[in-house]
Amino acid sequence: MSHLAQMLAAPGAAIEADDDFDAINALMREKGWSDGLPVVPPTEARVTAMLQYCDRPWDVPIAKVAPRWGEATPIRIAANAVMAGCRPEYFPLLMLAVEAMCEEPLNLYGVQATTHLCAPLVIVNGPVARELNINCGHNAFGPGHQANATIGRAIRMVLVNIGGAIPALGDMSTFGSPAKYTYLVAENEAESPWDPLHVDRGLPKDASAVTVIGAECLHNVNDHESLSAEGILTTIAGTMATTGSNDVYYAAQPLIIMAPEHAKTVAGGFSKAEARRFLQQHATLPMGRFSRENIERRLKVTFKDRYAGAGPDAPVYAVQNADDIMIAVIGGAGKHSAVVPTFGATKAVTRALKTADGKLAKSVAEFRKS
Amino acid sequence: MANLRKRGLTTAVICSGPFLKLGQAQARTFGVPDLPLLEIKHPLGGQSIEKVKARADHAVPLFVQLVKESAQ
Repeated sequence: MSHLAQMLAAPGAAIEADDDFDAINALMREKGWSDGLPVVPPTEARVTAMLQYCDRPWDVPIAKVAPRWGEATPIRIAANAVMAGCRPEYFPLLMLAVEAMCEEPLNLYGVQATTHLCAPLVIVNGPVARELNINCGHNAFGPGHQANATIGRAIRMVLVNIGGAIPALGDMSTFGSPAKYTYLVAENEAESPWDPLHVDRGLPKDASAVTVIGAECLHNVNDHESLSAEGILTTIAGTMATTGSNDVYYAAQPLIIMAPEHAKTVAGGFSKAEARRFLQQHATLPMGRFSRENIERRLKVTFKDRYAGAGPDAPVYAVQNADDIMIAVIGGAGKHSAVVPTFGATKAVTRALKTADGKLAKSVAEFRKS
Repeated sequence: MANLRKRGLTTAVICSGPFLKLGQAQARTFGVPDLPLLEIKHPLGGQSIEKVKARADHAVPLFVQLVKESAQ
């Protein structure tokens, strides 16, 4: 009996089903073990193949996934990865993303159970992003690349099947979002004029890493006319400042995405730190643009010191601290940027890909069992 | 809340209708499946102070009754 077969012999650890794609998918739908799309049957052979890229004990939880606080063991994560269509070599990165999103600062319970439409967004940096061919260019947030589509989908499967993010039961989002199907991209480091996001977040440049953000879908920023850093950033700042954003009401950490052309223009005038300060100072709305009730019941309560005596012309800041603005370069050709507002009551988490001995991994091949 | 209940205190969670299932699931998750959930009218957010007070007026006697039952 194989190692996995012994574990699956435990009561409730596995289910029997006819060896038939349609029958297994019908069973998955009946159990609610799906995002609604057909899944790849997680047979013992496929799950075993996935676990060939796992250097941890297969049955020891690496995290607990809210709101059910289900134990995310490598076996369970692997079954969800198979169902989502992942290739086995994606597994180390999926494990890292699950660990990161379950860390306390992200507030996964809030992200999962809120009525807001946020979802965990994963930005991948470093050599592993290129090794796995994670799209960072044209249509990076759209369809067309297996890694983006299936690692992100596997994260959603983990959130549903282990975390219990079932609509109207554990996931109370009023609308939901297309980002709840898959929401994973890489940064376009090759075309960035700056250090990448994971370096801003304190990791070495040669690390492979994930940054997880409790995020809304991205909001496009079209600017085909500005020729200066100030011009591009002014347009981005205008898109950041909206009256209905959660970020206005929290000490939030929104993500600003610049496609390479905008980034090049901005870098011609500003460092990243200067761009952050400009955005923080200019992403404002006059208080009079907010409803009277939101002023009295939210702004003057949450940020009492800042807005207590403020009048209708006083600026309301979309972001409280410049250092909280994250900037990444993603996308292909075109004069666009994007603003990614957040859930607000969440902090981004960045973690490096490491092997079991604690060393930075240069390649997913280091996880493969010989 | 679950920890307080496990310590024997009288506890309850007040929640609006659409969140009852989430509350029940969380109570099971944290090992207190019998945790009372006192239902108030939805929504609670975006309401005038008068309507919030009306929901409190509905919940308070439910909780008082719970305390009395616990004391018996």
